[in-house]
Amino acid sequence: MLVGIPLEHENSAVEPKECAVEMSDYLVKVAQDRCKASFARVFGFFAPRLRSYALKQLGNEALAMELVQDTMSNVWQKAHLFNAEKGSPSTWIFTIARNIRFDMLRKVQNRKEDICADDLWPVLCEQTPDANEKALDDQVTLEQIGHLFEDLPEKQKVVLEAIYIDGKSQQEIADELDIPLGTVKSRTRLALQRLKGMISDYD
Amino acid sequence: MIKFHPTPDLIEQFVTGTLAPAESLMVSAHCDMCKYCQELVDEKTAEFAMDHLELENVVESYDPQFDLMLANITQQPAAEAPDVSLRKSSGIDAQSTSIELDGKTFELPKTLHRLIQKKGNWSSLVGKLWQAPVDMGYDGVANFIYMEKGGSVPEHTHRGSEMTLVINGEFSDGMNDYDSGDFIYLNGEHTHAPASEAAEGCLVFSIVDQPLHFTSGIARLLNPFSHLFFR
Repeated sequence: MLVGIPLEHENSAVEPKECAVEMSDYLVKVAQDRCKASFARVFGFFAPRLRSYALKQLGNEALAMELVQDTMSNVWQKAHLFNAEKGSPSTWIFTIARNIRFDMLRKVQNRKEDICADDLWPVLCEQTPDANEKALDDQVTLEQIGHLFEDLPEKQKVVLEAIYIDGKSQQEIADELDIPLGTVKSRTRLALQRLKGMISDYD
Repeated sequence: MIKFHPTPDLIEQFVTGTLAPAESLMVSAHCDMCKYCQELVDEKTAEFAMDHLELENVVESYDPQFDLMLANITQQPAAEAPDVSLRKSSGIDAQSTSIELDGKTFELPKTLHRLIQKKGNWSSLVGKLWQAPVDMGYDGVANFIYMEKGGSVPEHTHRGSEMTLVINGEFSDGMNDYDSGDFIYLNGEHTHAPASEAAEGCLVFSIVDQPLHFTSGIARLLNPFSHLFFR
């Protein structure tokens, strides 16, 4: 337990304007002198509010406390990054909390998107480079599909052209070519399968 | 001149951190290019922070858990400062900030810098259209698309949504004319055929959550395979 560092338990007494100035001063002292008493003031004011915010956002007591812990740790360790000219302490601390929450949810929800909070709101700017650079497969282009299309058997090509380019129904084609509807359907299916096969081979 | 911005609703969700990641990425990149929206975001952020972290009256009694937490935190050392040197030594600053195509260099908004290393090779689509996929680590589809002068995307609609940010140049899609920085959010209700007549062509960054659905001409041939194009 820390001795001689009173925690500020009565939170609501401070006016917003004064609060911003007061908290700014404390943060500067934390940055310059690693002043624990100043940090205790900042912590005493923001920790309960952060938890209340986090509870609303996350709906889970354990996660909320984790968010408070991570946010306030960052405030302690990176107080030198706070710049009073850029914004108030509450804004700075909120953006840290928002970023942590964003990355937290990403983990909890097992999201696959490779988008992290630092990309969106670079408030603490300490990214590590991502080494998972992946080689990308060649893409099949519209031009290439044109060539593949040319390689289809004449009868299948005629049917596909009528469907996809002229926009005709399979029945219309059957009537026009004077062949059974079933034949049109099977030629369509064969042609599509073949194109699909060619595209896969192309990969 | 930027004419198309994210809606106030999107901005609000972006600020509070409740907007989906892909949407957030696009809004953030737009803000890199749009001073107006960036200021709006800063304002809203300060407002929201003030409401929740200053004015909010916390009625609950002080939790003793906090004393332990405070003690733990102040045992930790300060982070290695300043961060700038940290970044330089690990080579992050060497990360490029632009992409190239056909001898032209395009400076990207800051938010998209990290995507550069995830960009695949350019490949040509029909005629004057180029596409470079970006691996976003999931099944949605992100692409840089470059339209040379006279280039166009076949008319299409979307089963899901399509977000586009104009990075450099101008194009038109039969509904509107767009310029650098414009943010375009479309869904399945829209059918459009983007085309560029700008001498310098047009580079856009686009994210769709479902394959495009082409609505006319030979491009309809693509529909059965559009999921193969967009991996």
